Amino acid sequence: MKLERYKLIFLIAGLIGVLIIASPALTGFIHFPSGERLSELYLLGSGNMMANYPFNIAVGQNNSVNVGVTNQLGSSAYYVLYVELKNQTDPFPNATTESPSSLPPLYEYRFFASNDQTWESKLNFTVSAATFSESQSIIKVLTINNFAFNANKPAEWDATDKTFTYKVLFELWTYNTKTSSVTYNNRYVNLQLNLTQSS
Amino acid sequence: MLKHTRFFVVTLFVFLALGFCLNSEPRVFSQVDQASSKLQTANVAVDQAFNAVFDAEKAGANVSSLLTQLNVAADDVAQAENAYRTGDSNTAAVQADSALPIAQQVMTEAQDAKQNASISQQNTFWSTISLTVIGVIVFVLALFLGWRWVKRSYISRLSEAKPTVNTQ
Repeated sequence: MKLERYKLIFLIAGLIGVLIIASPALTGFIHFPSGERLSELYLLGSGNMMANYPFNIAVGQNNSVNVGVTNQLGSSAYYVLYVELKNQTDPFPNATTESPSSLPPLYEYRFFASNDQTWESKLNFTVSAATFSESQSIIKVLTINNFAFNANKPAEWDATDKTFTYKVLFELWTYNTKTSSVTYNNRYVNLQLNLTQSS
Repeated sequence: MLKHTRFFVVTLFVFLALGFCLNSEPRVFSQVDQASSKLQTANVAVDQAFNAVFDAEKAGANVSSLLTQLNVAADDVAQAENAYRTGDSNTAAVQADSALPIAQQVMTEAQDAKQNASISQQNTFWSTISLTVIGVIVFVLALFLGWRWVKRSYISRLSEAKPTVNTQ
């Protein structure tokens, strides 16, 4: 082998060696692109399963679901989860414009989660007072986790499905450290319910 | 006489009732205002505490215990908001008040954690740079010595080699 070849081998080995030795210092300056940053919002039925969700609910009957949020934003986050009551005509949040629903929140959760951490909580709810007519029902009082809210939410009788349909809407908001305000995270889940007069 | 007495009693009752209403209404409003103001203060305190925790985390501090503490304050604020929505101003005020000292304590601890993390990060940075520079110098020197040895042995092998004549 010629001397020039040896020189080339030494130069390549030198370059690779220097890069390996300097790699701990270089990681401080080079930032590799990270994956998508998002927050997961989910709703589970009894037994923490994606089943056994309450649907037919009667006045005075206790119901529960588990709601959870997983932080994958790459840093700690401050979340506010609003619980709202919706009927058939109330609008959903708009995913395209990333705007929340116009419904007033009844109940709310506030919590912090570090990166990759999952927060979970049980939501107990009861329709404490409601009125019924042939074509309309009104949820007067909805009790969520022992707080009795004056909901006064009417729902028209759905002749096709034969239901008084309501939805419990969960909207996820996050605290923005740059603007120092809580903004809608464009994530929501809902639980469909049929209010019945008797269980 | 009886007529006058009755008139006096009725007038007195009306005045007392009116006075009670006028006196109690501002008290109710003031209670609601107080709860609302306390809620706002608690919210701002929790927000500021989180800003401090977030900065500490960015500086490289371990903030898991601070987040655990702050979760207690956040839960108090949420319960206060929920109580306020149900019209229970007293509970709202009490819950908001209980969030305040926790948030303030977390903020102080987060600021300390940020300072310590910044110093530690700076030290780590400079020690990494120093070790890298020393490592590179040692490696380049070793490579240079190796190269010299290879070069010398190559030349000596070349000079010791006997010339051969190719015959056809």
